[in-house]
Amino acid sequence: MEGETGRCVRVLCPKKSLLSSKNPGLRWLIGSPLFLPPFTVVSSFRCLHALPDDDPYSPDFAKEADEIRMLLLRGFNIIGALFVGDGNWEKCAWKAVEASSKMRKFLFGDGDCDLIGAVTDLITDDIHFFVSHSTNVESMEAVSTVVFEDNPETYVWEKGCLLRCELELKLPVFVPLDKTSDVAEIVSSLVDEAAAKLRDPYVAYLVEGSNVDTDELSRSIVLHGMELDSKPDHSDSMLLKASMKESGAKDLACSHFHLKDKNISSSTIRENADAIQIAVLSNQSRNNCKSAVPVAEYFPATEYARNLNVNFKLDVLCYASEDFTIAAALSKLVIPGLIDQLNSIKKAVIPELLSQQPQLCPYHFLPPELLHPVTAIYDLRYGETEMKQGEMRRSLHSRLGLPLDRPLLRIANALSFGMKNTKDTHSVKYGSSLLKNVHTEVPTSGVSGGIISLIDGSYEYYHYLLYGFDDNGWGCAYRSLQTIISWYRLQQYASIGVPSHREIQQALVDMGDKEPSFVGSREWIGAIELSYVLDKLLGVSCKIINVRSGEELPEKCRELSIHFQTQGTPVMIGGGVLAYTLLGVDYNQASGDCAFLILDPHYTGNDDLKKIVNGGWCGWKKAIDSKGRNFFLKDKFYNLLLPQRPNMV
Amino acid sequence: MVKTVIADDNQSKSAEDRLFQHGIPAQVGLVIGQLNRSSDRGFVYDLIPTPPTDGGGPACSLKSEAAGKDDKKKGSKSGKPSAELPASLVVDNDWVAEHARQVSRMLLGGMNVVGIYLWASEATFKATSPAVLSQAIKGVAQAAPFADNEFEERLLIHVSCSPRRWSCRVCTLASGGLQPCDFKMGKLLASLQAFRCTYNFEIRLPIPQSGILGIITFKDLICRGIANLAKDLQSAKALINGHLVTENVHTSSESPHDVQFLVPFNKHISTEACSSEEVVGLVVFSGAICAFAYMGPREPILQAISDLKSDIVSSLRSRLDIITDEAEEEVALSLDGGGVSGGDSLAEKSIHKLALREVRT
Repeated sequence: MEGETGRCVRVLCPKKSLLSSKNPGLRWLIGSPLFLPPFTVVSSFRCLHALPDDDPYSPDFAKEADEIRMLLLRGFNIIGALFVGDGNWEKCAWKAVEASSKMRKFLFGDGDCDLIGAVTDLITDDIHFFVSHSTNVESMEAVSTVVFEDNPETYVWEKGCLLRCELELKLPVFVPLDKTSDVAEIVSSLVDEAAAKLRDPYVAYLVEGSNVDTDELSRSIVLHGMELDSKPDHSDSMLLKASMKESGAKDLACSHFHLKDKNISSSTIRENADAIQIAVLSNQSRNNCKSAVPVAEYFPATEYARNLNVNFKLDVLCYASEDFTIAAALSKLVIPGLIDQLNSIKKAVIPELLSQQPQLCPYHFLPPELLHPVTAIYDLRYGETEMKQGEMRRSLHSRLGLPLDRPLLRIANALSFGMKNTKDTHSVKYGSSLLKNVHTEVPTSGVSGGIISLIDGSYEYYHYLLYGFDDNGWGCAYRSLQTIISWYRLQQYASIGVPSHREIQQALVDMGDKEPSFVGSREWIGAIELSYVLDKLLGVSCKIINVRSGEELPEKCRELSIHFQTQGTPVMIGGGVLAYTLLGVDYNQASGDCAFLILDPHYTGNDDLKKIVNGGWCGWKKAIDSKGRNFFLKDKFYNLLLPQRPNMV
Repeated sequence: MVKTVIADDNQSKSAEDRLFQHGIPAQVGLVIGQLNRSSDRGFVYDLIPTPPTDGGGPACSLKSEAAGKDDKKKGSKSGKPSAELPASLVVDNDWVAEHARQVSRMLLGGMNVVGIYLWASEATFKATSPAVLSQAIKGVAQAAPFADNEFEERLLIHVSCSPRRWSCRVCTLASGGLQPCDFKMGKLLASLQAFRCTYNFEIRLPIPQSGILGIITFKDLICRGIANLAKDLQSAKALINGHLVTENVHTSSESPHDVQFLVPFNKHISTEACSSEEVVGLVVFSGAICAFAYMGPREPILQAISDLKSDIVSSLRSRLDIITDEAEEEVALSLDGGGVSGGDSLAEKSIHKLALREVRT
């Protein structure tokens, strides 16, 4: 176990995430000195900016700090660094320690604490850990015990909770028409004033439990600014335990607002994040003001002026332990977080005040394999595909060690908080009850000597009558589309809910492909319509293969097997009056023998895997079976829809 | 829907005694009390007689039904009812309405002019057409509206001299219909809960150059500011004696209760529909209002909070009205006395009609 000497380093993030980039440089190690045991590494951020450019071991601290301050939730901090490169271990580890110490100062102005210096070279996968207790290189010692935790999520979330504060600030600014150079200064000082007011004793903070269960209204409390510490103590790293006696709202712990019976894990957060909500209010009935008779006074402008509304949308997420008092969480985490975000946004907005103002909006994400949420601030002016936005996302992917071919930080993937049950989509309500990957249980194809190419990843089986919706006889293509969209969801390419028949129809009407009367009808759709909907709802492009007769489908096996090997997405086959979902092909190039792994959306029974497999509703179908029957009709056209994997961020 | 009306027994008794002793045949006045949609009980706190008109006549008099006779303006002779037909009541609606308007300005939160009372004999009352009565009530309702514009009921109390008893009817404003309702006396004033608060506000209203149809008067602008304040207040959170009010809990502590209002941070700066237009000036409207509201026994607390908020807003509106009324009077006086024409001079224009754009030169 970790002793007081702290000679054990516990690594919660997967080892491969630390080794993900084999370029020389530094990786910042992230932990939570306030809430987790010392030397517990929760994640790592790659150091992206160096000064000078060509020395990867000399970070541009100011620029790094600016970016990390926006990205990292308060409650987490830098606890060390990983040196990736060749050299003497101790020397390299010391460089890492020094860099991380300096980084902490730049980031939140923190003083010294125990830090981890880790070293790995460019070839092997070994990581050597050292810890340092002070600024003296002599005090650095090698770490003998390094634990790579099996259950990292429980570690972080067993006693952890999230706090969220949203604040909209509208600052009306009067800009003299002929003295526009003053604007930056005026706005800057207004923002500073607003930031300072957050620590005003007459500000009140309304703290409420998450919205999910509304039968516990009495958990809300109000804390007044004067009850909070006016100056956050940066060097305090002790846990503040709530006192047992009921001495007032100030001493309530975060656990008071937190639903105890809910087990938080990364997946529950991704579905619907549960955070303690904090609202910032002004007390308009404070007693300190001299009573003043209401007076209305008119100030004419001395020169022509323009009214410029500068709007800030703040959204801060913090991590704390349940034992932490809410008062401490407010003064040490939430308020500094708000002030930091305000300053970050101010820096971005001021240069462009007089032209079109940026619409900066913070979003929170919990990408896969990251144990804690992160915050990104996006400019919504020009849309997500705009070049600068794409660059920003690539940079974030790089820093967080995320793959560069999956859009994981799109706004559609942002965390949603406190969604009430009224806004459920199918997946949120029924999610886990749908059968997944039913093809894994089917018997063999009967093709000898063939090469099997299957889809890559998971999907949900959508079929007739699912969710009590009667689409028997007309909805097969819709069901196939639902299965395809579920694949994109499960592979983290999208987080929209799987659309209903009606929503699919509405999408087609919205883009002008169908008349409004289409919605609510029982009209069939085909490959073309599916490609439109996939493009509209998911931004996914598709390839379409046509064959004039079902007899020609086996000729397309080669192309299909290449599709499964490179894209690995489910395919929709539509022809005649039927639509099927194709999950794989088994193809013997030499003999030409082939079979198709079909997932049939025409199934009307219940979700019983055995029934589905035994009934052949999912299974290998040969083009001509042992009895000589054709699976595909020779007098019908067939269209094959091949959805493509997006290769972008 | 008001089903039961409870009147304060002490006040009612002294009102009744007063009426009896004066011996006038008929009187009309205002009923001060509390009616709201969240309760089916109505409260009556006091009765206030309407004073004589400017001309000296009473607000309410008897009209004999005997053909052709003139209205007896001075009905103060000891009631000599006409021989054959009982007299009916005639009410000076405009005067009573004006009385209601002025009185309602002076009332605090949770107290309103909830209707009228009539002092007359049973016979006279029966002889009076209900249309006459509901007209009077409608006039009062219009002159002294509730904060809740959609509450459609008022009270008509009849204090009868012979036999000596009280009866109460509920008037539905839309139809003018009068329904009887339960009426009893009880200890009200002693058990009223008082709520008080101080509300500080600062509203900044930029005045854009263009985009305003016609001239904005100072008064309009302040009215707009007050309307914005009312909107903010509606969604404000309330603390009673330091505790957050979320639902209708009954307070355990002693009256008067201290209430604090919390509004969203930084909201006091108004962001009126002013895009990037040219601004000619700024009106800063700020100060503190001390407000009170009273709540009857066992009534929901959220109603008291709502009444307190209405008190703040109506206090501001009344002040604005009083100031602009006085300003008009001043100007009228000065024009009368001075006789100087040339009304273009700024000083001679009444403030509330002052076109803002003329100030800026």
